[in-house]
Amino acid sequence: MDALLKEYFPILVFIGIAGGLSIVMILASLVAGPQKPDPEKLSAYECGFDPFVDSRGRFDVRFYLVSILFIIFDLEVAFLFPWAVSLGDIGVFGFWSMMIFLGVLTVGFVYEWKKGALEWE
Amino acid sequence: MTAALSNDLVLAIPELILAIGAMALLLLGAFRGEGAAGLVNWAAVGVLALAAWATLAGTGEAPRLAFSRLFVVDDFARFMKLLVLLGAALTLPMARSFMARAGAERFEFGVLVLLATLGMLVMISANDLITLYVGLELQSLALYVLAAFLRDDAKSTEAGLKYFVLGALSSGMLLYGASLIYGFSGTTNFVDLAATLGHGDGTGPAIGVVVGIVFLSAGLAFKVSAVPFHMWTPDVYEGAPTPVTAFFAAAPKVAAMALFVRTMISPLGDLAPQWQQIIVFMAVASMLLGAFAAIGQSNLKRLLAYSSIGHVGYALVGLAAGGLQGVRGVLVYMAIYMVMTLGSFGCLLAMRRGGQMVERVDELGGLSRTNPMLAFVLAALMFSLAGIPPLAGFFAKYFVFVAAIDAGLVVLSVIGMLASVVSGFYYLRVVKVMYFDDAVGPLDRPIPLPVRLVVTASGLLTVLYFIVPAPLLVSAEAAAKSLMP
Amino acid sequence: MVAALVLMPLLGALAAGFFGRLLGDRGAQIVTSGLLVASAVLSWIVFFDVALGHQAAYKVQLATWMSSGALQVDWALRVDALTAVMLVVVNTVSALVHIYSVGYMAEDPHVPRFQAYLSLFTFAMLMLVTADNLVQTFFGWEGVGLASYLLIGFWYKKPSANAAAIKAFVVNRVGDFGFAIGIFAIFFVFGSVSYDTIFAAAPAVAGKTFNFLGYDLDIMTTICLLLFIGCCGKSAQLGLHTWLPDAMEGPTPVSALIHAATMVTAGVFLVARCSPLFELAPVALQVVTVVGASTAFFAATVGLVQTDIKRVIAYSTCSQLGYMFFAAGVGAYEASIFHLFTHAFFKALLFLGAGSVIHAMHHEQDMRHMGGLWRHIKFTYAVMWIGSLALAGIPLFAGYFSKDTILEVAYAAHSGPGTYAFWLGSAAAAMTAFYSWRLLFMTFHGKARWAGHGHDDHGHAHTPHESPLTMTVPLALLALGAALAGMIFYDNFVGNLREVFWAGSIHVAAGNHVLEEAHHVPEWAKLLPLVLSLGGILVAFWFYILRPRLPVALAETNPLLYRFLLNKWYFDELYDFIFVRPAFALGRLFWKGGDGRVIDGLGPDGVSARVLDLARRAARLQTGYVYHYAFAMLIGVAALVTWYVYRIGVTS
Repeated sequence: MDALLKEYFPILVFIGIAGGLSIVMILASLVAGPQKPDPEKLSAYECGFDPFVDSRGRFDVRFYLVSILFIIFDLEVAFLFPWAVSLGDIGVFGFWSMMIFLGVLTVGFVYEWKKGALEWE
Repeated sequence: MTAALSNDLVLAIPELILAIGAMALLLLGAFRGEGAAGLVNWAAVGVLALAAWATLAGTGEAPRLAFSRLFVVDDFARFMKLLVLLGAALTLPMARSFMARAGAERFEFGVLVLLATLGMLVMISANDLITLYVGLELQSLALYVLAAFLRDDAKSTEAGLKYFVLGALSSGMLLYGASLIYGFSGTTNFVDLAATLGHGDGTGPAIGVVVGIVFLSAGLAFKVSAVPFHMWTPDVYEGAPTPVTAFFAAAPKVAAMALFVRTMISPLGDLAPQWQQIIVFMAVASMLLGAFAAIGQSNLKRLLAYSSIGHVGYALVGLAAGGLQGVRGVLVYMAIYMVMTLGSFGCLLAMRRGGQMVERVDELGGLSRTNPMLAFVLAALMFSLAGIPPLAGFFAKYFVFVAAIDAGLVVLSVIGMLASVVSGFYYLRVVKVMYFDDAVGPLDRPIPLPVRLVVTASGLLTVLYFIVPAPLLVSAEAAAKSLMP
Repeated sequence: MVAALVLMPLLGALAAGFFGRLLGDRGAQIVTSGLLVASAVLSWIVFFDVALGHQAAYKVQLATWMSSGALQVDWALRVDALTAVMLVVVNTVSALVHIYSVGYMAEDPHVPRFQAYLSLFTFAMLMLVTADNLVQTFFGWEGVGLASYLLIGFWYKKPSANAAAIKAFVVNRVGDFGFAIGIFAIFFVFGSVSYDTIFAAAPAVAGKTFNFLGYDLDIMTTICLLLFIGCCGKSAQLGLHTWLPDAMEGPTPVSALIHAATMVTAGVFLVARCSPLFELAPVALQVVTVVGASTAFFAATVGLVQTDIKRVIAYSTCSQLGYMFFAAGVGAYEASIFHLFTHAFFKALLFLGAGSVIHAMHHEQDMRHMGGLWRHIKFTYAVMWIGSLALAGIPLFAGYFSKDTILEVAYAAHSGPGTYAFWLGSAAAAMTAFYSWRLLFMTFHGKARWAGHGHDDHGHAHTPHESPLTMTVPLALLALGAALAGMIFYDNFVGNLREVFWAGSIHVAAGNHVLEEAHHVPEWAKLLPLVLSLGGILVAFWFYILRPRLPVALAETNPLLYRFLLNKWYFDELYDFIFVRPAFALGRLFWKGGDGRVIDGLGPDGVSARVLDLARRAARLQTGYVYHYAFAMLIGVAALVTWYVYRIGVTS
């Protein structure tokens, strides 16, 4: 077998495990959980909206604001994982880099807080 | 390690100043509320001035790389950065009175301009496709918001949305091009790229690289609004608030052109035969479209939008010529263009009748009688934009055309000159309306002081440039030299 | 002194022309007339010094005009006897006309302009007669042409005046074209345009030929004929005469100065000045004789039937110029200049007298609407008599001496053209006398026919009135000249003293004794002109006093002849048909077709229309839809990529 393909072998294993685990979970919930379906439960959950209504309907923009703020912070936090793993190697420089990054993030957070973006009303 | 780091940070001091300044002002504004708008605005000007001062340090030194060669500081970068900082610093004070009247005096304006400028500086100093993209996006995101700054105004929000959607598309193209180049050359660093692409095996570059260059150029062309990637320009220029349009026409264009030049000359310099044709095509198309489409315009901002498209075409003539002379031509052109365009938009900002902005050409009727000084400056700027000697605009065109002719691009120069003749029509129409048509009525007074200063300064620079042309030429020459291998 | 003499009129012209509003009407009149009178006095001094005092001819170098390779042209004033005579003629008449204009143009709103033009004309004429080289002559030649154009069209609100001015200008261009080519030819042959150089070198060229389109042509003949074409245009000789009668549209003082006394004689002057050349070209001289004699006859016939008082005199001028030319043609340049000299006085007198009549009649020029005027304007009547006597060549008056001399030399030439000229000239003399007295009788005698015809648009009383002093004094002075000039100067000009008088300024070939022989022509030839003139006067008396119905009856019985004469031998119609209409048609073709459709259509108009089309299309690209924009970007990228892939595919 190719050396190249060999390198991708762990991914194949990962895919297999992930697929198997998902199937197990779904089956388990089907077997173990009580099944009491109603229309609300069966409808697709799409951002809190009814999926089959007129697209020109009004909705509150604050919903997006919150979700976008969430996504931003969520993504930034994703940087913390590789940082945390490699902190031992990158040392003080790495540590302060992340601190500055978080500082910048905090500035943005302070701004959004003061502007009242986090308050629903 | 520490020494290298501090070394890197020293080179990036202007960017650091802008970044820290922007954040500080953001916090200041957040805590002080809307009342801080004026303070933030002037503070932003101060930050820009500080950055400009920091930029000047080390002028004349050999190019230096920083941050693992992601970042380069040379005279070319300094020249362009100063232009960008100047453009931004002049826009901010002019914007204040406009925003106040539009009921949109928010401190975020200054902060956004600072952030956009920071992005531009990073673009200018980019020495890697990654840095390029980061700077470009930082700039673009701030500009999208600025275009839609008057969020209750339908035109402004439309402009912002259009700019955003199309900008996203162009970013996609640019990224795709960058990835192709990376895929076929194995590196994103400009220095390595130059080495890799320069030492081909005689069969020419791989087709993937060429396609990558096309896509990359398309993304950059969008930012400088060269045809056929210009479509956003008229709509956005017309829709965005006038001071924002002034900013758009000045700083980002200079920065994008700097990036364009650096990318084409430095990493792709050895592929000149490949990309030259793209640039020639864009230059011709831009000059012609800028000349022809503007004729039918009645809105001054739209007219200036087409004018800026045309001027990008002329600057691209210099890039197409390449070499020291060509790059020098581009630098001189951008510098003079920025002065002229800021002056023109300054004139627009100065004109208000009955509380309404004067934006249509026919509303200028008889301006020579009601506001003779303003009419004179605007006429001088129009003549200069048309490239009539001895005004500055003539010299700008002169240097790029000389470079093009020396590079053997005679046909391109001839087309450029013909387009210049055609474009004379709409520039002179403005003059004609001001001087020969019936007076529409006096303008509101007084004209805000910063606007008056900018208009006067640009008028003087345009008219009197021919007396002392040397400083600009010398510094442009030095800047161009630093870019050459 | 000569320089001052020449430049003073220019000064006057500039002053009145540019500062006329400042000077006012009166100021402009005083300045121009004063300078002209001073200039006239100076020219009489020059005349007495050079011509009568036999001082040597001299030159005044003013400046170098142009110096280009072999071409060397100076501003120089050449003063010799010929020049002196012309100076006297030009400046005397001009000064008198300036003064006369003060009265004549009193009611005109553009007095300073008029005076400026008059002075400008005088300056140009002086440049012409004092020129030391052909180019300077040409400068003056064109200068008088310009002034003539301006003055004919002085009343520019009258379409007929404008048409006449244009006609004069265009017809003169034809002649000037010949003149210019003549100058080129002279420069080509002699390598110089200076008179002295040319005249010195001329004998060496005589008889030589050059080849042109396969014909061997005599050089001197060609040059002289070319020069003569110029003379024909300026002096209104047959063929190029059509502008002169029309030029009467100008104010009458102009007609007197330019179209009688001075400018139209420039051609005669040029022939005399170039006598060293003409003497070497016998064929050219024969042409000059024939053309001159024909003109004299032709113009006299037309003069018989004209009814406009000024036109009669205009045709008379044309006719008299013919006399001068054929005199020169038979080699008697002195006689020719002598007639020029006397003619200037009596013709200016006649014109100014006619002007006085017109003034009295409130700008009525048609003789059929006059009559019986002698009671009202006795002084004018008297001077008109003197002028007519001089014109008809009645003994003791000026014309007698000069005209008879001319007819005698024509007879004495004993050549074909000479004889032709003698008989036609004699016939013309009879007709001259007839139309002169016809004019006198129609205007001053008979019943008054002017009731209700005066152009009384300026609120005067309607009775004819005598002219003011500014007009009568010049008339009196000219009358004096017309009466006495012939008698006084006969000996000097053509008599025994002529050799010392002219002092070589007119060159006569060694074998040319025609003037000498003229004194020995048979008695009948000497008497014939006088007899014919008296006969003409009697016929006029019979026609217009005794039997006033007769001319009408005669015209009715010979309608063809009458119409032929009345329409001036149909020259205008002929030219209109041959030249004017084709020229207009050609012009219209080039204008509408060439310029309008081709050049404008493809050039400015076409380009601008295409630019607008493109602009409209370019603006339409901008739809405002984001997806269109995005599509354009993608198309652009796709096109560029395609092009590159194709190119690389082809090259590798």
